[in-house]
Amino acid sequence: MTDIARFESLVLPHLDAAYNLARWLTRDPHDAEDVVQEACVRALRYLAGLRDGEARPWFLTIVRHATYDWLGRQGPRGDDEGLAEVAGDAAAEPPQCAERRGDSRALAAAIAALALPYREVIVLRELEELSYREIATIADIPIGTVMSRLARARALLRRSPALHAIAAQRAGGES
Amino acid sequence: MNCAEASAGLGAWSDGELAAGAAMALREHVAGCTACRAELEALAALRRDIRAEAPRHAAPASLHARVRAEMARHGDGTAATAAPAAPPRPAPARRRWFLAGAMAGALLAVGVGALTELVLSQRASDDVTIEAVDSHVRATLGQRLIEVASSDRHTVKPWLSARLPYAAPVPDPVDPAFVLAGARVDSLDRRPVAALVYRYGNHSVDVFVRPLADAGAAPALANVRGFTVARALGAGMEWRAVADVDAGVLAGFVARLAAGAAAPLPVAR
Repeated sequence: MTDIARFESLVLPHLDAAYNLARWLTRDPHDAEDVVQEACVRALRYLAGLRDGEARPWFLTIVRHATYDWLGRQGPRGDDEGLAEVAGDAAAEPPQCAERRGDSRALAAAIAALALPYREVIVLRELEELSYREIATIADIPIGTVMSRLARARALLRRSPALHAIAAQRAGGES
Repeated sequence: MNCAEASAGLGAWSDGELAAGAAMALREHVAGCTACRAELEALAALRRDIRAEAPRHAAPASLHARVRAEMARHGDGTAATAAPAAPPRPAPARRRWFLAGAMAGALLAVGVGALTELVLSQRASDDVTIEAVDSHVRATLGQRLIEVASSDRHTVKPWLSARLPYAAPVPDPVDPAFVLAGARVDSLDRRPVAALVYRYGNHSVDVFVRPLADAGAAPALANVRGFTVARALGAGMEWRAVADVDAGVLAGFVARLAAGAAAPLPVAR
C-alpha cells in the first residue's frame, strides 16, 4: 500500500479526534487547524512507524507533540485566560450547540480553564473515551499518573464555581 | 479498607480501570458506605455532564481540504525526498522545544533532571506526591503491599538491595509506635523505588526511599485525598511517608527515620 493510501485508510478516520484534542488544548479553532495540518505532515513523514491497530493513539501522540511545539512557539500562556477565551468562542460554534448554551458554556469553560496536564487527560478520557493505557502512551506519562491527573482534574471541575452555579440553578428549577 | 483508601480508587473503578482484586475490595467497602456511594454517583454525574455538555469538536471542511492538499503534496514529493529510516515518533522536534525551556530553567540554576517533562516540572513534583499516594492505595487495595515480610531490618535491607539499583537504608527502629512490617519494590517517577512498610496501630504506612539525585522539589507535608504525605531528607536519600495518619505524627516519624539513617545509633558490641 502506498503512503497516501495507508494514511487515508488508517489515519484520516481519526481527523475529528485529532482536531478535537488540538482544539481543546490550543483553545482556538484556527490554531487547532494549523496544529492538525502540521501533525498530518509529520504523520505522513513517519508513517513507517505506525503499526496496524494503533493508529488513533499513534496519531494523537503526534497531534499532542505538534500542539506542545506550537504552544512553545507562542510562549507560555496563563491558564486563567481560559474562561474569557471560551466565552468569546461562543460565536464560532455551530448553531445546534447554542440552544444548550446555559450548561454547555459553564462546563466547557471549566474544562478550558484547567491547566494543560489536566485538560488533556480529561479530553482524552471523557470525550475520546480512551483507556488509561492509551492515554499514558499519548501523554507520555505512567498509568499511575494518568489516574492521579484524572482524579485531580475531576476534583477541580467539581469544585469550579461555574458548575456550582449549574447545580444551584437545577436545584432551584426542581423545587 | 477505610474511606480514604477507597475514595482514592473510586475514579479508576468508575472508569473500569481497576484490577479485579482491588475492584472487589472496593465493591465490598462501597456496599456498606453511603459517603463513598455518593462520591461514586457524583463521579458518574460529572461524566454524564461532560459527555452531554462539552462539545466534541469535529474537523471542519477547511481542515479536510488542507489535509487533502498535504496528501497530494506528499504524493508528489515522495519519490524525490523519500527519507531513509525515519524515526518512528516525532520526538526530536518536541525535545528541541523542551531544550529551549531547559536553557531558561538553567538560568534559575535548577538542577535539570528529566528533560522531557521540564515544562511540567512544577506539577511533576506534585505528581510524584500524588503518585506516591496512588502507589500506597494500590498496594493497600491489592495483595502486593508487602513482598518481603519481616520486622528484621537485616532481612529487609539485603532483599531490597538485591532488587534496586541503589542501597536503600533501613534504619533502626526510631519509634515504638511504628513497627516495621516488611517492604516491597514499587515505582515512583518511572523508576524502581524501595517502599518500607510500617504498621502504626491498624494503619499501613508506606515509606518510599530513593536517592536524592532522583528527587526533585516537593512539599515537606501534603494532604492528598485525605492521605498525609510527609517528606524528609537524610543519608543522601529522600524519605516520603504516605499514610492515613495524622500529619504531625507522620512528619515526626519520617524526620526521625531520615535522621536515624543519617546518624545511626552506635551499636553495642
